[in-house]
Amino acid sequence: MASLGGSSSSSTEYIVRVPKNTSKKYSIMAFNSGDKVNCSSWTQARMERDMSNRRMYGVEETEEGAAGSEFGKKQREEARRKKFGIVTREFKVEDQPWILKVNGKAGKRFKGTKKGGITENASYYIFTQCPDGAFEAFPVNGWYNFVPQAKHRTLTAEEAEEEWGRRNKVVNHFSIMLQRRLREQERGPDDDDEEGEKGGKKKKKKGGRGGDLRIHDLEDDLELSSDESDSSGGEDGDSKPKKKEGDVKGKVKKKKKKKRGSDSEANEDSDDGDFEGLEVDYMSDESSSEEEVGEEKAKSNKEAVPKGIDEASESEEESEEEKQNEEEGKEEEEEEEGKKTPVQTKKKRDSSGESDTSEDSDIDGEAASALFMVKKRTPPKRGGGRGSGGSSRTGSRPGTPSIDSASTSNTLRAAASKLEQGKRQVVGGSSESPAAKRLKMESSSTAVTTQSPAPSGKSTPQPPSGKSTPSSSDVQLTEEAVRRYLIRKPMTTKDLLKKFQTKRTGLSSEQTVNVLAQILKRLNPERKNVNDKMHFYLTE
Amino acid sequence: MSEKGEVDLTGAKQNTGVWLVKVPKYLSQQWAKASGRGEVGKLRIGKNQGKAEVEFTLNEDLTMIDSLGDKPSGVQAPRDHPFTMQTVGGQTLAVFTETQSGKEQISLEGLVVQRAECRPAVSENYMKLKRLQIEELSKPVRLSQQLEKAVTTNYKPVANHSYNLEYDRKKKEEGKRARVDKQQVLDMLFSAFEKHQYYNIKDLVDITKQPVSYLKEILRDIGIYNVKGTHKNTWELKPEYRHYQGGEEEEKETDD
Repeated sequence: MASLGGSSSSSTEYIVRVPKNTSKKYSIMAFNSGDKVNCSSWTQARMERDMSNRRMYGVEETEEGAAGSEFGKKQREEARRKKFGIVTREFKVEDQPWILKVNGKAGKRFKGTKKGGITENASYYIFTQCPDGAFEAFPVNGWYNFVPQAKHRTLTAEEAEEEWGRRNKVVNHFSIMLQRRLREQERGPDDDDEEGEKGGKKKKKKGGRGGDLRIHDLEDDLELSSDESDSSGGEDGDSKPKKKEGDVKGKVKKKKKKKRGSDSEANEDSDDGDFEGLEVDYMSDESSSEEEVGEEKAKSNKEAVPKGIDEASESEEESEEEKQNEEEGKEEEEEEEGKKTPVQTKKKRDSSGESDTSEDSDIDGEAASALFMVKKRTPPKRGGGRGSGGSSRTGSRPGTPSIDSASTSNTLRAAASKLEQGKRQVVGGSSESPAAKRLKMESSSTAVTTQSPAPSGKSTPQPPSGKSTPSSSDVQLTEEAVRRYLIRKPMTTKDLLKKFQTKRTGLSSEQTVNVLAQILKRLNPERKNVNDKMHFYLTE
Repeated sequence: MSEKGEVDLTGAKQNTGVWLVKVPKYLSQQWAKASGRGEVGKLRIGKNQGKAEVEFTLNEDLTMIDSLGDKPSGVQAPRDHPFTMQTVGGQTLAVFTETQSGKEQISLEGLVVQRAECRPAVSENYMKLKRLQIEELSKPVRLSQQLEKAVTTNYKPVANHSYNLEYDRKKKEEGKRARVDKQQVLDMLFSAFEKHQYYNIKDLVDITKQPVSYLKEILRDIGIYNVKGTHKNTWELKPEYRHYQGGEEEEKETDD
């Protein structure tokens, strides 16, 4: 190699060789840069030809040999094909695509299809530099474009067509795959036809969710709403609020609610302003019904909420809070809630919880999330809620509550007033206030009514305003009453609940549940398992 | 010794960099004529004011262009070929090789770090070469040519075609098909049906060399004539004579 010295340029010369007798055939493996393929990160790779097209080219063989074959069939077929001028291309192994598997079974898979026509007008050569400095040029035999193969599940053609037809209606795209998965689970091995699936989709969806969410005796719409929440899947926070609204609206009429829920699921995203007026109305109307019906729904919705809204930044916090509370959770609560939904359980746990913190944060979190769901005034509200939750954690209720209350005050006021009428809240200590708060929050969480934290914030003032504790009415859900029952005979939580019917105590079922949980905590009854059911009893 | 399909990843791990160069067809043809160790030319890489300049110079002895046709072309390939350097962006290109002989081994040789196009420096030689190429390409594949005399060699009148003669001779030699014993025919038929299930009557006649009517009678005894889905009407053995699944060792004889 000669080095030429130049004035402003320097160059080196290298000899170029084209080896003649190389036994290796060079090919190009092309990846799309978007796939971010880093060859040096491969630990091991396997590549072989994809022979799946062989049958296309091979003539369909009828049975050779005795059975089923005709004499001279092959020749006849060939003659026939020639007569009609059918020319079948032969199956060339070199033209078949490659299947490349990287890093074993769990790694990526690529399919490399041959790119035609690269050697027609120009030749490609690979120049490599040899140790002795000379370049060696090898001709490129083939160019293969490698594309990654999807491992995730995709829709089949029929399903895709279906979804295409619904594309304007479905806002939440993640639910599509979720439904499909649920459908497959339900279906199991047998294959229904599409219509069946389609029709059954909702059912199955519900069924699927029903498995996760326990059906509470008192709340059918709980199930309904939970289904709806589920159907909206996770992603779309917007649709969730909408749905929640729909649910909330529905109130007693479960069907209506359900329908509304599904409708709202199908609706376009709403802007913030869309629900302002609506919510006010709802708040005033719903305050009472909400308590009864909304609570559970809210709960169930909230359960779905954490899942769905996880993506949404704001709700993340809430879910975290809730989850936190979950983790702290009390077994007792869970037991009591035995049959209730996990959300309810959570709530119970939190609400009845000894610690203000968990309760409050949970309540607030849930309330806040619910609020978030329902209305889009998320930031302030939630911040308020959380703030109050945080503060309640410390036992005090300063600060942000005002924000919260302010934002929801109108609806809260309405709800508050309603509750006040209904119940005379016995505010006892921290447990009460949490309960109160909880109850209040629950009602507010169902979105419409959030008790205005009256004076300072969510704490004690609220209770007095009357939501929380059960009061008045015929049968009071008091510790005394519960004690009486439990002394008489062992009862499950369900039984207890039956005793304190919402109509008679004037409480919403959620409230009932919460208060009952509280009471049970205080009583600390003994438990025994009868027929696989946890019974409580007292011996005095 | 690695098994088939296992890719040798040494090139990728070492991050061996190679160049992918697009080379004109005539140049690759000239390279194919290289002798000895395969030296084809020199590559000069220079840095001229920051820009890399790459040029390939073809060896003197490889500049003779052969052309199709009889006359020597008299055209010389141009010698200087500057490379146009290009980026690889947008694609990740890897180079892999397969060894052909016996043991098929796929190995990853490396990654393409630079793409280049080899262009001939425009010169008189190059123009002539191009003209030659165009002339060759512009020749039509098919040509109409007028003949002066009519072609009379194809179809001549013949007293009797050779094929016909053969046919008559065969007929005479074979004579009419004679009926043989029924038993023998049956044997022949059974052995035939051992090989295939369905037969055309013509084929059976061919096999057994029996007159058609006689054969048909026998077939009616032991076989059925089905109009299968396929449009041919074929004969097959009756079910009780068939033993296709278990092999064909069964005797399918009937007593007459």
